[in-house]
Parts: sequence; structure tokens; C-alpha cells
Amino acid sequence: MKPGILIAGLAWAALVQGYGQAQTEKAAPNDTAPAQAKTIAIVGGKLLTVTHGTIEDGTVVLSDGKIVAVGPAKSTKVPVGAEVFDAKGMTVYPGLFDAETHLGLTEVASDQNNNDLAETADEVEAQMHVEDAFHAETVRIPVERLNGITNAIVAPASEDSIPGQDAAIQLYGRDRDGMMLQADIALAMNFEGSVRRRANFNGPSKFPTTRMGLASQIRQAFLDAQAYEAERAATAKPDHKGPIPKRDLKLEALLPYLHGEKPVVLAAYEGYEVEVAMSIAKEFHLKVILNHVTHAQDVLDEIASYHVPVIVGPIYDFPRPDERYDAVYSLPAELQKRGVKIAISSSGGGEGGSRNLPYAAGYAVAYGLPYEEALKAITLNPAEIFGLGDKLGSLDVGKTANVVVANGDPLDVRTSVKQVFIDGNAIPMVSRQTKLRDEYMPLATKKP
Amino acid sequence: MANFSSVLRHGCAPLFLIGIGATPTSLCAQSTPSSAPTDVVIRNATVMTVTHGTIEHGSVWIHNGKIAGVGATVDAPSDAKTIDAAGKFVTPGIIDPHSHSALGDDINEATSPVTPSMMMIDAFDNRDKALYQALAGGVTTELLLHGSANMIGGQAVVIKNKFGLSRDEMLFPNAPRSIKFASGENPKRVYGRRNEVPSTRMGNFEVMRQAFEDAKAYMASWDAYNVKVAKGDKDATAPKKDLKLEALADVLRGKLYVQIHCYRADEFLTEEAIAKEYGYKIRAFHHALEMYKVGDKIAPTGTGIATFADWWGFKDEAWDAIPWNAVMSMREGVRVALKSDSNDYVRRLNQEAGKMVHYGGATEEEALRMITLNAAWIIGVDDHVGSLDVGKDGDVVIWNMDPLSTYARVDKVYIDGDLFFDSALPGFGTTHFSGAMHDAASEGSDDEGDEL
Repeated sequence: MKPGILIAGLAWAALVQGYGQAQTEKAAPNDTAPAQAKTIAIVGGKLLTVTHGTIEDGTVVLSDGKIVAVGPAKSTKVPVGAEVFDAKGMTVYPGLFDAETHLGLTEVASDQNNNDLAETADEVEAQMHVEDAFHAETVRIPVERLNGITNAIVAPASEDSIPGQDAAIQLYGRDRDGMMLQADIALAMNFEGSVRRRANFNGPSKFPTTRMGLASQIRQAFLDAQAYEAERAATAKPDHKGPIPKRDLKLEALLPYLHGEKPVVLAAYEGYEVEVAMSIAKEFHLKVILNHVTHAQDVLDEIASYHVPVIVGPIYDFPRPDERYDAVYSLPAELQKRGVKIAISSSGGGEGGSRNLPYAAGYAVAYGLPYEEALKAITLNPAEIFGLGDKLGSLDVGKTANVVVANGDPLDVRTSVKQVFIDGNAIPMVSRQTKLRDEYMPLATKKP
Repeated sequence: MANFSSVLRHGCAPLFLIGIGATPTSLCAQSTPSSAPTDVVIRNATVMTVTHGTIEHGSVWIHNGKIAGVGATVDAPSDAKTIDAAGKFVTPGIIDPHSHSALGDDINEATSPVTPSMMMIDAFDNRDKALYQALAGGVTTELLLHGSANMIGGQAVVIKNKFGLSRDEMLFPNAPRSIKFASGENPKRVYGRRNEVPSTRMGNFEVMRQAFEDAKAYMASWDAYNVKVAKGDKDATAPKKDLKLEALADVLRGKLYVQIHCYRADEFLTEEAIAKEYGYKIRAFHHALEMYKVGDKIAPTGTGIATFADWWGFKDEAWDAIPWNAVMSMREGVRVALKSDSNDYVRRLNQEAGKMVHYGGATEEEALRMITLNAAWIIGVDDHVGSLDVGKDGDVVIWNMDPLSTYARVDKVYIDGDLFFDSALPGFGTTHFSGAMHDAASEGSDDEGDEL
């Protein structure tokens, strides 16, 4: 996280606090509660710190949006005046981080009017900023965060080779700016057959209809960006005479990625697609985060040799007809075993949503991934992969106070999250769905 | 009968010798594969019976393909094939009451909103990999339904997931016939786009009423003919047999279980009113994501539901879906099953059931019942499968741990006492399958947003 973002976050907290004091009774937008700059001590829980093991009877202190103390209850002081949250018998862990979602880009998927998932007129759309479409008031965010999801990467849908730039969000805040951790945090890229524009042999076809076409188009885009940069540099010189070329937003958007300043999230499914995509990435010295690699089981050692992190997900993608039923379930374990840093994503969430992210991590445990690595794959690893590791992903002093308290193992489907803290605020445990539940619950409880 | 060699191998050869005039279905599907041992005993397991609690260190004895004993001890013969399942869990086979697996891209005959004579068995591809992947998730019985493009779709096929056997051997013997109805957005969208009826919910239900009026007229014409024949009228002319109207008549005669795809509370009420008007019973509402709003009104009708655990928001009519729907409806007295409607989720219905402990506080037995006995009831095969009770079919799953845990994996799957899947085996882990699987032509769902 850049310092500027942090300041923005604190300014937001201050703003919310002021609002809260003025209008405590009024329902706040997006189920945000009036924030109170108080100190909260979560006491007596089993702490899954992610970075320094498990503390059976521990205390976590949150103050001014930060974690200010973590340790055994015996030796960790509860500050005077702190509000105490009794977590006896509970499990306490850092907020979960979903490495690929479309949160805020879609509401009802079948309704095109509220979908802002991807521009599809062209395959190279690097100038598209997810931040510009992100709908902070989406009903989906409160629903997802009730299961402990506190942070996410919002990516455009994978319909283009380069559909745009991702944003990192916090799943809590009064408005877009309050939720935006970092706009344009990474460039989404796809090299997969589904991006092809399907040749029409009976009429006009639009390039590219093959993987050859896709690859050459991506190469040309980066070459054009390099040429554009050189041209701009030449015309910027004081002795330059003649017209200044017009700014090209598309090519300009590629430059930070060509410079290796920010990562590209490079999606590919098949082994040979991974190899082709990586060869392009190497040509242009891109800083790569691989995505999916669902059917790349034959080249896992090669993937390990790239020394790049991999986002795996969804692990529920189907094996091919010649593969064993668990070929994809076991992918996180196989990658981790080879020393690859992995994040598990919901990959857009599917019909159930991002809220099922912890269960996907649990399923990876069932198929061989060590438990600690699974928890890391949905907390610290995605945070580090996207450059937010100093702020998110573990119970450590100085990190953003995104903390979850649940009545059991966070990766188990039977566990219920009891309280989510984001930026040190105990967030209201309500969503449109809990409101519907409570509205109709009297019907359900009137009989024994 | 696509696979002659496999038929021979599993003892259906007599079909070709004596089967003339008999239906292949009944002959073949009732045969017991010869490879199954006479007696199988699973010992030392945590046995989740569904109907009579959980037995620690319990045993299940299967004799000639049927459950012969369940308890702390069983009276199995000493030469029985014995599996020591110490530390493991045993449940009845998982049952999916709403699937479109193994129907390729033939799920919807979307050329007319009323197509009741479509027989899903005619599209059933028994080598589809989706069946294998479901088997590896412990699924032993599935109701394969027509899609939801039509108000009145086709007639379902009930299978036992004996992956590797022939099409006919995979049919559930003597299962009741079910027919798929649908209302709401899908038929509206399909026919509305063509500027045909129905493009609204008004249109939805008028199409249904008209279909039943046609069926009544058809039945009346046959009644009149039969009266003439009974009076000895030799000149009486029989009406023309019409497959479509015959199927609708069978609905009105109560010979078909009516399985209705619909989402909204108002639709449940309308469907029940139409069923009352025309005198048929609805077996179950499928999806039924708003049942939590009207569970008290639907419970007395006896109609069950087959619902998603936590799907929501993929279309307008799923906007009010809440993951507490299943448990809230159950508390109202509605019989609740969970289902997949998906080649993906069918592989882990146990996890979907586990979520019910979280969303609403179901007991583990209540949650398990939603993917076993209640699902069996919706299909109408609950006398044969869905619980570990003496006399029921030997459809049993051994899990490495509590199946409602995220971490549970299937170790072994028995169907009719025969081992069909064993995760310890190399390769696919299948015992009866060899060769190449077919790739599912679709995701197996007819209800993912814009898909059918």
C-alpha cells in the first residue's frame, strides 16, 4: 500500500467518525456503522496469527484502525477503557483476502444493465480501470464479508487478452473512496482459447480467431507501447520541433507494467498456454502473477522454475475426461510442494459467492495442502502477491485491524463467523440476506 | 443398448434371447451385477443411519445387494468380505434430486413450451465424465431432469450411478415417473425473445391451463369411446393416440410426479392453485429459493422442495435467495432436500449439507437427510434408498471423516452391495469402468443466469 492510500484510509475513518457522532440513529449507507475511534480488545480466543503460529488463549488489541497488540492473554495487556470482546471458545484470524472477484462490477448476473464486467469490442483494453465501474453500494459486499472476507481484488471478466486494470478493495466503507485500497493495482491478462473471437467461415470474421492471433496481438500491443514511449520521450526534449503526438491512453496504461513497476495477473489454463504466455511475459520483462493453471499438471515443475506466484482458482474447475476426479482439487498442494507461493481465489465467486472462499481452501487441505498453507493462501499470500503484505493478511502489530472471530475452524463449512472487524470497526453483522431472514423468521420460529 | 460387450459381462445377455416383447428397462436394470460379493460387512465405523441416529463403532452388513444389518454388531457370515473402517464414517449413498448430468446438450427441447412426451432417457449418455465425478463425491442416485425452458418439459430418468455399466443397468429399477414443469424467467425469456407466448408470468400459467384443458378434452374423447365400446358399439372409432396429450393425461391421472422449477413465493402459490384446480399433486418445487417466505402455507400441501444451499443473485428471481432458506423451510414443516443442478456441485453435496449446520443450525442428521432420505422421497424411491435401514439397497459410502466437514473425502462407494469407486485404486479409482469418458457438453446446469 502506498502511503497516500493509508492517509486516505485514515481520513475516511475520521470522516465516518464525525458522521457517526452527528447521526447515530440514522441507518448508514451500505450497512456501515458509525465508526468509533475506540480501542477493542478481543480476549480469550484461539489466535491463528498466520505468521507466528497459533496462540491458544490469546488477546488481540485493535486501536485506531490498527492491530496494536497480539499475544497470549496472560501477557497481553488490555488497555484501560478498551471495549472487550469475549472470544472464549472462538477462533480469531486475519480477514480473508479473495485474489479474484468481480465485486461491484455485477449485481444480478443475468441482467446486462447492471453488468460492468468487461469491454469486449477489442482484445486490448488496458485503459479500462475497474475503479471507474466499482459500485461500492453493491448488496453483494455485506453478504460476502459476513463470512469473513475483508479484502479482495476486483478484476474485469476474462473476456479479453487485456481487459483492464484491477483494484484492491476493503469490503467496508461508506463509499467508493472509503473502500478503495488501491486502484490499478495490477493488469489483468488472459491467454486462453475462450478469448478468441470464433472464426465465421460464412461471413466476415474479426481478428483474432486463433491463439496465434491472440499472441501476436499482445506482442504488438507491448511493442506499440514501447514505440509510443520512445516517441513521447523524443518529443519531450527541449530541442524538439514539430507537433507533439496525442496522448494514447491505451498504450500509456501499459507502461507501468512494461517497466515492471506493477504486476500483471496472467491467466492461462492449459500447460502449453502457460508456456506461451510466459514466453511473451519474458520478452517484455513483465512482473507476473500466474492465474488458474488449471490443466497445467504436466508443467508444474516448469511453473515452479519461473519463480512467480500463482493464483489457483476455482479449484472446482472440472478435470478433463482423461483425468482423475481430484486432478484440480490437488493443484494447490502440488504447487505448494514445489515451493510456489499460491493464493486461492473464488475466481469470481460463482453462484454461491466469495463467501465460499474459505471452504475452497479447506477442500485444498482435504487434497493434500498443509492447513497453515491453505490459510495463508487466502490471507497473507494474496496480500503479499499484490504488494499489500505490510498491511494485511496476518495478526501482527501495525497491520490494518481486519480481524474475524468465528465459532470454530474458519475453513470448515459448519463454522459461523460471529464478528468481523474491518479497520478496527466491529462491522454490523447484517446484510440484505440477514434482513430477509429476520423479516420472515417469526414464521419459522412460531412452531417448536 | 450401445455396449454389447458390457451387457454380456454383467449378465444382461438373456435380454437378447428372451427379451422380445419385454421392455429392456425392466429386465436389465433389475439384474444384479455378478461381480458383487454375496456378503459385505463394513466394521468399526461411525455409522450415520439418517433414520435412527449415529452409531459409534458400528457395522453395516450388505447381503445380496441389500442392507441386512446395521448396528453395534451384525450377524454376518464369517466368510463375508469385511472392510475395517476404523476412524471412518459410513452414510447412505448421496442422492441428487435435480441434475442434468449426462444429457449432453439435449437438456431442453425448447421448440414449444409444452413438450411432456420428451423422454430424458433418450438423451442419457452413461459414459459422461460428470457421472464419474459425482460418483467420486459419493452420489449413487440421480434424478436427470429436462431443463427449464418449457412450462411443461419432458419426463425424467432416475439412475443409479453404476458408472461403467450399460445404460440400462444404470436405470433405477421401477422408479416412479417424474415430469418437469417450470415457470418464471426461463420460459419467459426463451419464448419472449421470439415474440411468442409465454413472455410473462401471466402467459406462463395460461400456457399450463390450456395444456390441461387440451388434456381433459383428449381424456373425454377416450372416455366417450370407451363407453361406446363397453355398450358394444362395433362402429366406435378410437381417437388418435397423442403422445403429448397422453403424458398430460397421466399428470391428471396422478401417474407422474410433478417436479416444478420455480423460485418465487407467488409462483408456489399459483402452482398449488393450478394443481388444485386440475386435481394433480405437486411432488416438489425445485430451486424454491423463496420458500422461507411461505413455508407455512406450503407445508400443509405436502409438497417438498429441492433447493440450493447458498446460490443467489444470478438472476432477478434469485435475488431474495438466502442461505437460511432450507433450514427455515424445514422448521416450517416442509420436506427439504438439497440438489446440485450442476456438474460441479454434485461432486460435493456433502459440503452443501454441511453449510446447513452453519446457516440455521441444522443438526448433522437433519443436514444429511437433505441429501439422502429427503432427496429420495422427492424422486419417490425412499422405500429403497436414502437411509441405512435393513431391507434397503446396499448403497453405502465410506468417508475418511465426518462427511459434513470441508475436509471429508470419499473412500469407497458401494451400490447394490457392489464396489463402484475406491479412491485407493490407481487411475480413476473406478472398478467397473474402462475406456474413454465423454466430456459433458455443458456445465450440467440449466439455470446459471442466461443459460438454460
